[in-house]
Amino acid sequence: MILLQGLVKRYGAALAVDGVSLEVGRGECLFLVGASGCGKTTTLKLVNRLVEPDAGTVLVDGRDVRTSEPHELRRRIGYAFQQVGLFPHLSVAENVGITPTLLGWENTRIAARVDELLALVELEPAVFRERRPAALSGGQAQRVGLARALAAEPRVLLLDEPFGALDPLTRDRLQQAFARIRRELVLTVMFVSHDMSEALLLADRIAVLAHGRVVQVGTPAALLASPADATVAELLATPRRQTAQLERLLGGAA
Amino acid sequence: MNEALAALPADATAHLQLSLAALSLASLLSLPLGVLAAGRPRLREAALGAASVIQTVPSLALLAIMVPLLSRIGFVPALIALTLYGMLPILRNTVAGLAGVEPALREAARGVGMTPGQQLRRVDLPLAAPVIVAGLRTAAVWTVGTATLSTPVGAPSLGNLIFAGLQTRNGVAVVIGCVAAAGLALALDQTIALLERGIRERDRARKAVSLALLLALAAWTGGAFAWQRAGERAPIRIGAKPFTEQYVLAELLSGFVEHETGRGTEVLRGLGSTVLFDALRAGEIDAYVDYSGTLWATILGGSGPPPPRAELLARVTRFLARTHGVDVAAALGFENTYALAMRATRAEALGVSRISDLRARAHELSIGGDYEFFERAEWRALVDAYRLAFRDRRVMDPTLMYAAVAAGEVDVISAYSTDGRIQALDLVLLADDRGVIPPYDAVVLVSPALQARAPEVVEALGQLAGAIDGDAMRRMNGGVDQDGRSPSDVAREFLEQLRADDRGSSRR
Repeated sequence: MILLQGLVKRYGAALAVDGVSLEVGRGECLFLVGASGCGKTTTLKLVNRLVEPDAGTVLVDGRDVRTSEPHELRRRIGYAFQQVGLFPHLSVAENVGITPTLLGWENTRIAARVDELLALVELEPAVFRERRPAALSGGQAQRVGLARALAAEPRVLLLDEPFGALDPLTRDRLQQAFARIRRELVLTVMFVSHDMSEALLLADRIAVLAHGRVVQVGTPAALLASPADATVAELLATPRRQTAQLERLLGGAA
Repeated sequence: MNEALAALPADATAHLQLSLAALSLASLLSLPLGVLAAGRPRLREAALGAASVIQTVPSLALLAIMVPLLSRIGFVPALIALTLYGMLPILRNTVAGLAGVEPALREAARGVGMTPGQQLRRVDLPLAAPVIVAGLRTAAVWTVGTATLSTPVGAPSLGNLIFAGLQTRNGVAVVIGCVAAAGLALALDQTIALLERGIRERDRARKAVSLALLLALAAWTGGAFAWQRAGERAPIRIGAKPFTEQYVLAELLSGFVEHETGRGTEVLRGLGSTVLFDALRAGEIDAYVDYSGTLWATILGGSGPPPPRAELLARVTRFLARTHGVDVAAALGFENTYALAMRATRAEALGVSRISDLRARAHELSIGGDYEFFERAEWRALVDAYRLAFRDRRVMDPTLMYAAVAAGEVDVISAYSTDGRIQALDLVLLADDRGVIPPYDAVVLVSPALQARAPEVVEALGQLAGAIDGDAMRRMNGGVDQDGRSPSDVAREFLEQLRADDRGSSRR
């Protein structure tokens, strides 16, 4: 469904992405994890051409992305990112319906789709439809951002820390919602996160990046069983330690 | 009061026409330029730099410089100057507004699949709109305010009331002009503000009201414009320099031409003297009154001791006809010379009655002159011939100049010999004992175009030859300056008297 082959992206002398090749199957959720500056966000943006590569190709659905106009490509691919970027001069409904509007859908179809999506991300349509983004909490804004990414019925979704900067409770609820939605809609997802726990809980497979290169790709279980190197082991250390502590606490309480 | 109020609708309409046209043009140029410049640092610096430089030019100078640049007067040079002047705030705020759009929103706009054009229309411009509109409001207030200064370049505006009011000491006209200009500026500012709030808060009522107001304004001015254009025969345009005598004479010519030929006329007040001559040559105006000595010094470039009155007039007439195609239709019969004047008591105390008496005293005296005087050949001739070195010299508005000498703030002024205020303020004219100042016969000049277009007007103006003597002119000037009557009122009375005398003489 998504195929990255030998991608290279330079910023001046620095190599942000250094020969990345990855594959995401249909309906699969692939996480890109790694430390800040490892190239995970750049890799994600190469898929919808927010960044153009210096070398390598990206295929989506078997087609080279360079054969489409960037805006047409992006209308077929959902995209949500940490800052959300809801348009403050538009209502929640207009924000969610923006890509269908650009695609020229009829107003009634857009309205129905907006209500459907608001319900999907657990926001009461009648309450939130006409709100301005300024009147939303952080968690509500992230939900609207996710709904906007899904509005034009994309089969491919790119997420860049969509649940970052949220309180743990809200984050957990949104993660649950996401896990449900992506299975319901059979979405092919690339998900950037610096949080290994999130990756272990939500991913089908995880790609660990360091210095613009893919260090290891595998299922959560495979990574936990045999981390390829010290980088991967270190990334896994935190969730391991937290889990152990929680188990002790829970065991003690029982 | 009534006359000022009567002129108000026409002046306000012309003012609004000019301001709205300039504001629209400035927006049409600045918005796209601002959008282009926002993403291009070099263009941005160049455009903002150029606009800032234009802004540092005093507005009156910017207006005045358009006349020689375009070699025409009236609406077009005023429009271009005001447009240039109004561009900076719109340009600056467009650039700033677009730069203020958060990077996250640009990324979101691209991410949801907008083309660059859609991003501009749907995201960048709406979000920058409050800042852009603030720039538009600034430009609107500046433009309406600065448009009052377009009177001296021959574009009618509320400045007509203000300039003429200042010259003829008609305080009411000045106040009416200022209040009306301020009112227009505020009204336009508030209408644009209402439109902006309507758009921001998506208030259909506000949007509708403000759009209706703007449309009404545009329709009013546009309608007036069309109506002016529809007037089948172009009026005879008569110019006037910025002082009382010229206002009276322009009204007098206007009344005379209308009565004798039935042609409509239009009086353009407050133009500078070289602007007037260029405008006449180019056919932008049809007639005005100038003075033989002024023409000799400024147009013929005459220097040294001037020839006697009749010879100078003949030489000027020949030169204008041959070199510029401008005809002297009539010499009106009086002279208005530049003359040095002092308060009578002061002159007596210093023992000064001739200009040569000033020489020993000049270093302790100050002199005031009108806007042109110290740049004129006459002043240089006076300085050279009499070796005058004043302690201080000050450039003043003619009206203030007389008040200043009467109050003792300056000792000597460059007066006009026919000015009614010389007598009223108890001033004396100092004799030009070396004959340096040329004679200044008042002459009616007509454009080459008028001779071709309306020879009957030229012929009618010819009948005014010798019709006004120095006393008559002084009385008319005094009527305005001392008695507070309007120039047109004084001119009408003179013309009625002239016709009564004519009938009397023909009956005999």
